[in-house]
Amino acid sequence: MKNGLWPNLFKGWDNKESETINTLKLIPVFKNFTKKEFLELEKLVHHRNFSENEFIFKNNAPGEGMYIIMKGSIKISIGDGKNEKILANLQEGDFFGELALFDDEPRSANAISLSESKLIGFFTPDLLALKDRNPVITNKILFNLGQILGERLRQTNSLLLDQQKK
Amino acid sequence: MIKKTENQDYIKLIYTLFIIIISSFFIWLIWPFISDVILKLVFAFLFTSLLLSSVDSLERKIKNRGMSVLVVTFFVIFVIGIFLTSFISQLSNQASEFSQRVNPQTLTQEFNNLGNKFTESLPDFASNFIPSNNDFAITLSKFIDSALNSLASLAGAVGGFLINAIMILIFTIILLSEYHSFRKTLVAGISNKFFESGLKLIFNIEQSVSSYLRGQFIAAFSVGLMSILGLVILNLIGANISLIIFIGIIAGVANLIPLVGPFVGMIPAILIAFMNNIGNEIATSHLLFGIIPSPFFIFDIILMFMIVQQIEGTMITPAIMGKSVGLHPLMIMISLLIGGTILGPLGMLFAVPATAILKIIFQEIMFVRKNSHLL
Repeated sequence: MKNGLWPNLFKGWDNKESETINTLKLIPVFKNFTKKEFLELEKLVHHRNFSENEFIFKNNAPGEGMYIIMKGSIKISIGDGKNEKILANLQEGDFFGELALFDDEPRSANAISLSESKLIGFFTPDLLALKDRNPVITNKILFNLGQILGERLRQTNSLLLDQQKK
Repeated sequence: MIKKTENQDYIKLIYTLFIIIISSFFIWLIWPFISDVILKLVFAFLFTSLLLSSVDSLERKIKNRGMSVLVVTFFVIFVIGIFLTSFISQLSNQASEFSQRVNPQTLTQEFNNLGNKFTESLPDFASNFIPSNNDFAITLSKFIDSALNSLASLAGAVGGFLINAIMILIFTIILLSEYHSFRKTLVAGISNKFFESGLKLIFNIEQSVSSYLRGQFIAAFSVGLMSILGLVILNLIGANISLIIFIGIIAGVANLIPLVGPFVGMIPAILIAFMNNIGNEIATSHLLFGIIPSPFFIFDIILMFMIVQQIEGTMITPAIMGKSVGLHPLMIMISLLIGGTILGPLGMLFAVPATAILKIIFQEIMFVRKNSHLL
């Protein structure tokens, strides 16, 4: 009783940031966030646990938002069985599915959990709800997402140019 | 191997059915005790949907959720309080003035005169359908008597209403301040497979309910405003109707109940026109458009409310609501009948948003079934 009471009474007094916030801080989508904004974001995101070989989403399924890997590893692939083509193996601190925050298009690949995984989900309905309450955070997220997509487009362009030169 | 899986499936199905039967029986047992609380929670949810965007917007400005909830809630209570107190005081003034002006003994005589005038102004063939003057006077007296009795029982119900209102207010404050965490807790229970579609379903329901409520609110406001304007115009031609702002507000609030509400709105206007004009020669012999006998401007009032209703129904509601609810008129009528049968006027108030929610759930289930291979 004595051991349980004091830690509960002074819970949060040490100002230690939660594991969720520490993971969110690694993600470029939430770049330039203040401490208060991370706390606000923490209230919005969803924690989901996936077992080994469980689908997080399937190719062509309707998509609602992005996932951030807190623990475990995720395989991004197209096709199944012998035709499966692995696009990426993602680890802790990586994120995927962020395009679904922008458009209503279906998922463009499968995401499968390779081990017991703990993911943070951030979805379009949450972003839309946040838009009314805290447009500053929403603007930061959209601006950062724009930067990430811009960077990817530049990379794709340079790859295309390289291919054309060859 | 296949046989074993099939057996497992059957066991799973039987197990699920068993759980459904047990839980249905349990809900049936405790329903009488929880139905009241659930109704209050439904009200609180509707108020929350209505006020949520205001609280969110205020939170954006003052950066404090709790304070935003308190400011918005107390503003609403303040406005309703001012309306109710001034309405009650003005209504009691009106009632005392009416009782001073009208002597119970002369009231029957007044009714007789009124009956005579009404029958005289009608064509011969129509007067055959009207009962004798005495019957007419007695019927009217009885009607007034029953209306007064209903008012007395209404006063008794006010106490119970206040307790319910306070409970709903507390539920609403809690829901408003913790809404986003409640939603997060609610969706946490959904399985991984259906998580994204569940989140979308909840979001769609929220959007539909809040746009429906906001649309109804704007429609009620415009009906109120147009009714006040109409009554002012009627007063200009000598209708002598008092409490027009309150009649307008009642007409607006009653408009929240589709199809039936608009008719409820005109009753206080007719009653007040009757109370104010009793004994007034010009008002009792008034003719609508100079042709149709309209004692106490009754048919003028009905016509005015019908015009307001037409403007609201054909121009305002389609413009603001669009396809937000998107229910077929026949579906609205059926849901109103079912709601009215189950819960009376309250059921009629909830029937349309409830049907809209069911429609969204049905659409989402169909969507999930269609895409089940992708989940």
